[in-house]
Amino acid sequence: MRAWLRNPWGQPRALVVVTGGYILWSLVPVVIAIMFAFNAGRSRTTWQGFSFRWFTGPVGVFHDPALQGALKHTLFLAVICVAVATPLGVTLALGLQRWRGHGAGTVNTVMLLPLVTPEIVMGVALLLLFLKVFPGLGLGTVPQAIGQVTFTLSYVVVIVRGRLVSIGREYEEAAADLGAPPHDQILRVVLPLLAPAIIASAAVVFALSIDDFVVTQYLAGGASTTTVSMLLYATARGAPTPALNAIATVALVITLATLSLAFFVYKRFAGGGDAAVAAAMEI
Amino acid sequence: MSDHELRGDELRGEVKIEELTKAFGEVVAVDGIDLHMPPGEFFTMLGPSGCGKTTTLRMIAGFERPTSGRILLDGVDVAHVPPHKRNVNTVFQSYALFPHLDVAGNVAFGLKYRRLSKDESKTRVADALELVQLGGFARRKPGQLSGGQQQRVALARALVLTPRVLLLDEPLGALDARLRKGLQVELKTLQAELGITFVFVTHDQEEALTMSDRVAVMNGGRVEQAGSPREVYEEPSTEFVADFLGVSNLLSGTAATDGNGNCALKVGERTFRAMQGAVSTRGEAKAMIRPERIVVEQHDTPGDNRLPGLVERAVFLGNSFELHVRVVGGDVLKAFMPNDGTAMPAAEGAAVTLHLPAEALRVLAPSPAPSEHAPEQTAEPVVSSD
Repeated sequence: MRAWLRNPWGQPRALVVVTGGYILWSLVPVVIAIMFAFNAGRSRTTWQGFSFRWFTGPVGVFHDPALQGALKHTLFLAVICVAVATPLGVTLALGLQRWRGHGAGTVNTVMLLPLVTPEIVMGVALLLLFLKVFPGLGLGTVPQAIGQVTFTLSYVVVIVRGRLVSIGREYEEAAADLGAPPHDQILRVVLPLLAPAIIASAAVVFALSIDDFVVTQYLAGGASTTTVSMLLYATARGAPTPALNAIATVALVITLATLSLAFFVYKRFAGGGDAAVAAAMEI
Repeated sequence: MSDHELRGDELRGEVKIEELTKAFGEVVAVDGIDLHMPPGEFFTMLGPSGCGKTTTLRMIAGFERPTSGRILLDGVDVAHVPPHKRNVNTVFQSYALFPHLDVAGNVAFGLKYRRLSKDESKTRVADALELVQLGGFARRKPGQLSGGQQQRVALARALVLTPRVLLLDEPLGALDARLRKGLQVELKTLQAELGITFVFVTHDQEEALTMSDRVAVMNGGRVEQAGSPREVYEEPSTEFVADFLGVSNLLSGTAATDGNGNCALKVGERTFRAMQGAVSTRGEAKAMIRPERIVVEQHDTPGDNRLPGLVERAVFLGNSFELHVRVVGGDVLKAFMPNDGTAMPAAEGAAVTLHLPAEALRVLAPSPAPSEHAPEQTAEPVVSSD
């Protein structure tokens, strides 16, 4: 065994074993959860045969109004969040890249704070904000959207800035040199070059929004503003059926599909090689 | 404007730089320089990295705002005009071709701001691509082109706008030696054909000498000397210029008059007559001589301006030998001996006599005093010689 592990010329087997072990450990629960979404019986622990009943049956995801409502609300929030956070984040990234001198460093740090702030702190803070400072708004969809935009914005800024740094200022200078006024330098050169990063960050925002629980839960305003993750949390403690696994599976598929799309787009059009972005996409 | 063909107006494209200074915080990159780039000339700024040549070019292009001074383009001060409003175009060191556009899209980029009809701009793009011999490449993306082809696209993209002045920032730097040589000739031919003023930046002295009508040798943010390639090579006025433009030998000594209007430089025990350069210098002085002007003679050949030495190294260069000769007094002088079959190549360890002809020995003026703009900047940047 030791001799087999110590293999200086071939692939580093010890590392392969550790990596493989981790992947197995992290995937097995997910695979089991998905598997039981297709269970023919009501059990979430005993396999009773394969069926689509928890998806298409009378009490399945596609018919249960509570599950359906949660899915719709989740997707609605995600779309709003992408539509607001992406353009705002791109603008901020461009602004921060151009901002030199006093205050630039501070703003930079502040932009990254949401990435390291525990989400629970953020959730509580936002809740207080909406209860005490803007009580007129109430709780519900609007605060949920604002809350999600608040923390997903940083991801957009990080991804887009990474790309901005790697493309540098020279293309803008070339555009200016050829006669393009400042807004055309952005529209005709910078934005097309940023497109992969913008699409990737939109997908990351979408996935983050779908997965978010803490902030969304704090700012929820009743049954109509329940998201999939909230529903999962609530029913997991009640009387769960494989319908729960089914909805989790749907959420997972949507998230994975979005992230794969983002990864593909970025790889395809940015030529890869952007460590910062790759790291951000892993989050 | 005569925008209808790829030909600059020959009477225009004059750049005059007056007292131009650029400071980045504490660092003075360009220190009050004056330059005159006559219309239709191939003008080169030559110097080591950090000498201020690229910063000067970027100020002419408009990417940097001068701290003070004027940049006159055909008599109009453009120092504070943004780059997109200047009728100068740049070929960037890394070309900066837009990767999301194909070759034709790149070349057509600037034509959008010229209010041309679709047909007209198509014709001009095609003409520009023909000019740089890339006729069949219109639909390629920059990533599918070789370095030399990208360089031509960058050139076409700038020339299609018929700029009065074309700025080139070390455009051949990224290419291999063979390709460089070919493109040097092409660039020079193109410039002569189009009659556009080219302002070229390089650190390669050979490139500067072979291509330019006029060369400004820069060092430490200042212009050391400006003149024709022959002038700066054969009549360098400072030690830096002599050293930067090829190999040179320096003799330090005390200058006096020889009674005939020439300089008698006393180096150790010997006195050399020098007929070139600042011959009226008195006191501490330096004189230089190019290795190709030193005549290697048999040991103990009598005559003036001669000194004996031992060959320390003899490097075979193919068409010539480079001899490193340690002369009396301890200095090493370099001399080139043509490999013409007649001369006996001096072997290492052989005793020879070096003849430094008075008409090839040049007395150097001391380097210009530190400028009055930055009196605190007394320490001259260290110059590495090769």
